[in-house]
Amino acid sequence: MAIKAKVKKENYKLFGLSLDEYKKISELLGREPDDFELGIFSAMWSEHCSYKSSKVYLKTLPVAGDNVIIGPGENAGVVDFGDGDVLIFKMESHNHPSFIEPFQGAATGVGGIMRDIFTMGARPIANLNSLRFGSCFNPKTPYYVSEVVKGIGFYGNCMGVPTVGGEVVFDECYNDNILVNAFTIGIAKKDGIFLSSKCEVGNVVVYVGSATGMDGMHGATMASEEFDSKKNKKRSTVQVGDPFTEKLLLEACLEAMDKKLIVSIQDMGAAGITSSSFEMADKSGHGMTINLDAFPLRTPNMTPIEIMLSESQERMLLACKKEDFESLNAIFDKWGLNCVKVGEVIDENIIRFNHHSKPYKILDVSTVVNGPAYNRPKRKPKYLQKILPIKINDYRIPKNLNEIAKRLITHPNIASKRPVFTQYDYTIGTNTVVPPGFSAAVLRVKGENKADKDSKNKGFLLNVGGNSRYTYLNPYMGGALAVVECARNIAACGGNPVAVTDCLNFASPEDPEVMWQFSEAVKGIKDAATKLKTPVISGNVSFYNETAKKEGDKPTISKIYPTPVIGMVGFIEDVNKTVTPYFKDEGDEIFLLGRLKGDLGGSLYMDLVHKDFCQKPADTDLDYEITLQNCIRLLINGGMIKSAADISEGGIFVALAESSITNPNKILGFTVDLNIKELSYAEVLFSEFEQAFIITSKSHSEQKLLKAIGDFNVNLLKIGVVSKDIMKINNTIELKSDIIKNGYESSLETVISAAHI
Amino acid sequence: MNNRYIKAGITVFPGSNCDFDVHHVLTDIFNVNTSFIWHKDKPKSCREYDFIVIPGGFSYGDYLRAGALAARSEIMGLLNDYADNGGIILGICNGFQILLEAKLLTGVMLTNKSLRFECKYVHLRPFNMDTPFTCAIKDNAILKMPIAHHDGNYFATSKIINGLNKNNGIIFKYCNVTGEITEDANPNGSLYNIAGISNEKCNVMGLMPHPERSSEKLLGGEDGGYIFKSIIKYIKEK
Repeated sequence: MAIKAKVKKENYKLFGLSLDEYKKISELLGREPDDFELGIFSAMWSEHCSYKSSKVYLKTLPVAGDNVIIGPGENAGVVDFGDGDVLIFKMESHNHPSFIEPFQGAATGVGGIMRDIFTMGARPIANLNSLRFGSCFNPKTPYYVSEVVKGIGFYGNCMGVPTVGGEVVFDECYNDNILVNAFTIGIAKKDGIFLSSKCEVGNVVVYVGSATGMDGMHGATMASEEFDSKKNKKRSTVQVGDPFTEKLLLEACLEAMDKKLIVSIQDMGAAGITSSSFEMADKSGHGMTINLDAFPLRTPNMTPIEIMLSESQERMLLACKKEDFESLNAIFDKWGLNCVKVGEVIDENIIRFNHHSKPYKILDVSTVVNGPAYNRPKRKPKYLQKILPIKINDYRIPKNLNEIAKRLITHPNIASKRPVFTQYDYTIGTNTVVPPGFSAAVLRVKGENKADKDSKNKGFLLNVGGNSRYTYLNPYMGGALAVVECARNIAACGGNPVAVTDCLNFASPEDPEVMWQFSEAVKGIKDAATKLKTPVISGNVSFYNETAKKEGDKPTISKIYPTPVIGMVGFIEDVNKTVTPYFKDEGDEIFLLGRLKGDLGGSLYMDLVHKDFCQKPADTDLDYEITLQNCIRLLINGGMIKSAADISEGGIFVALAESSITNPNKILGFTVDLNIKELSYAEVLFSEFEQAFIITSKSHSEQKLLKAIGDFNVNLLKIGVVSKDIMKINNTIELKSDIIKNGYESSLETVISAAHI
Repeated sequence: MNNRYIKAGITVFPGSNCDFDVHHVLTDIFNVNTSFIWHKDKPKSCREYDFIVIPGGFSYGDYLRAGALAARSEIMGLLNDYADNGGIILGICNGFQILLEAKLLTGVMLTNKSLRFECKYVHLRPFNMDTPFTCAIKDNAILKMPIAHHDGNYFATSKIINGLNKNNGIIFKYCNVTGEITEDANPNGSLYNIAGISNEKCNVMGLMPHPERSSEKLLGGEDGGYIFKSIIKYIKEK
């Protein structure tokens, strides 16, 4: 009570702490914290660094599996890739900085996630991203799209890491909070993994990379708050990226690791030196001395807390053996980078700070690191009462399905993302077998000597995705569907899903309804990931994706839909067997493999035609899903099918149309006859996320396919043939392929180029 | 294919990032004896190499101008002598930009007409088959390769263009799939669809597209391999 009386209110609020948290810190210290301590605690106890609202749920996710070498807790997760290789990957959000300053926000998001990967000893070999922007009719959207895309390209291209896939989604719910989730995967040798937990007493603590400046100050706390009308004043909290320096840092770190000169290493991301030093100390069970005078500074006379909280990019903290420092220094010197002794690993579990050559502060490591964990109140949102199964007969049936089909295929969420991904270098690295724009990106891995061109080439598949509208309508199913849909895309190429990483983007956890959405979505991910045997080996939570606004005089809060995004990695034994989704030759037969529900609830069709997508989406049967995916993999491995596409946004029509117009060498079409009892044409053509694939095979292969499917209990229905340049379904749809291709390819460009007007 | 007696060097500047790719193709696909030349290494000369590749990337971050800083680094003096003595140099993408900035080739690079980084497949038509870089290309062949650059919009004065034309120094132009030189086929706005040029003696070539990224069937085509095959053939027959 005595403490409460003395609390300087503006102080703890300024640091983004709650009153209870402030009191707790005072209790732990036995007195009120000073500004230095308050700064350290507020960063480490921020939502961003401490996962205080999500911890209890994240613990429930499956993390172990046959291929998992390292699960959550390190900088990224690690899976065994055979032959002594491991793949290391993670996805991370950079939503708040990207909304304040989209170019630098997105760029440093990409830079940050790549650092997480090479910190562990892996060379990054591919980037993906999931981008969510506001409505394409929002006048600010073109600006955000073009700046974010430029930022991602600026960083990834310079680093020489190909950006091989991702998603771009437009929805009104992101008008005031865009989402930028970046994924990186790297490859390392199994005996060459580096951890942040390994430092030993007597090691030198070394700072490498760029100098420390005033940028990104309080970034972690900024990302743990909602926005208000003053967001532009937060610009200084956004970091500024220098991909050239990071490329040098990458090469220098990998060279030093190769020579075994590093004992333990941690990148400086959110909360900069604070989090890297405390986490390294905590995970190793030791402590360290930190000499604040030793840090190379970009801005003279930075105060101790400014040094500690700077989020300047392209920096690492590492521990090395005393006798190795000179050799380490020589490598960083070769690459023109700072390499400075800043401290020593000590036996006590404390960090002892020195400043101006004098002892400055001592902080207990576990006190700082073990922040609060909340089981925040949750409540099923009221709006869900109104989300009911669709009664399709209550809606008028449109006469002209051709017109609707055209609107769907040119909708920016469905149309080609070419104008975006051509701004990313996706061919560098000479590993990209299937480039962006298809179900999943496929990369090969170079072996010892691949001069023998016919030899087997193992590879891996990458996919990111999630559907926030479905998650809004049914949070549990949205979480599960995100996992299932990634697995479907990987299966459609012939790959085996292996593990996932996740980015959970939500509004404020202090809102019980948001917390309920979060808990349900995590449960959905858990159930699907468990069934599909794809453990969640790394990930990140981004809360507070909401903005306080005024509508007229009335204050409102604009919240994003719950947006769990999954990044999945799959393996394929021989990349030569990969199947792409597009049709190959005229005359090939088209089949539907799986089953159709025809449920239009929540679909883009309902949104476009009836301006109402608030219905319950169809459930996904996980057991059937596994059978179906095993079945299609079997067909692909047997070399029996020439193309395979899943049925996602826009339904069967979009799956067929995309298959016709995305062949890089020719334009094709199809003649399809598809009548399903009790389903209207609209339900057949436009229902989404069906548990089925569109596959093609050379003519007269139905019997062979049926025989192969055998006991799988999966239906195969011949629905038509690949034709020359017309898209024809029953008597309802007849469209010219080249006109559709034109609309499909140019639609997004109009959104982006509006930024230059 | 025993090409181990052929020695290739790949220059590495801070920020070079296609060095590994070129190394992979020369070593694993063409079996050439390949090594890296770090920009600070000071060999007495580069004469030991049968040819040298300046790979793509963002040398020195492409700060100031693409290629401008690398062009002024010490190793370029050696490359200058090497070229003077008839040594074969292939500059790819950023390597082309460096060769221009180092005045080993003529003209300049402007930002792409779209003002964007462009990564896509393009078609190329060779215009001079009598060079170390084109001598193994089949007659009338159109080569498909990817570009990946922000500043590939080649520009030069008419005097320079006349000079290039006189020496058959325009080696590759962007074309459509049937080989026609059209505006639609030009990915970056470069003058006369120019994709690759050489010096007067035709022993130094700059090329914007990436032949090393299209030297394997698995990656979508082997057309780029003809550039390296040409160099190897030329060296063997020399």
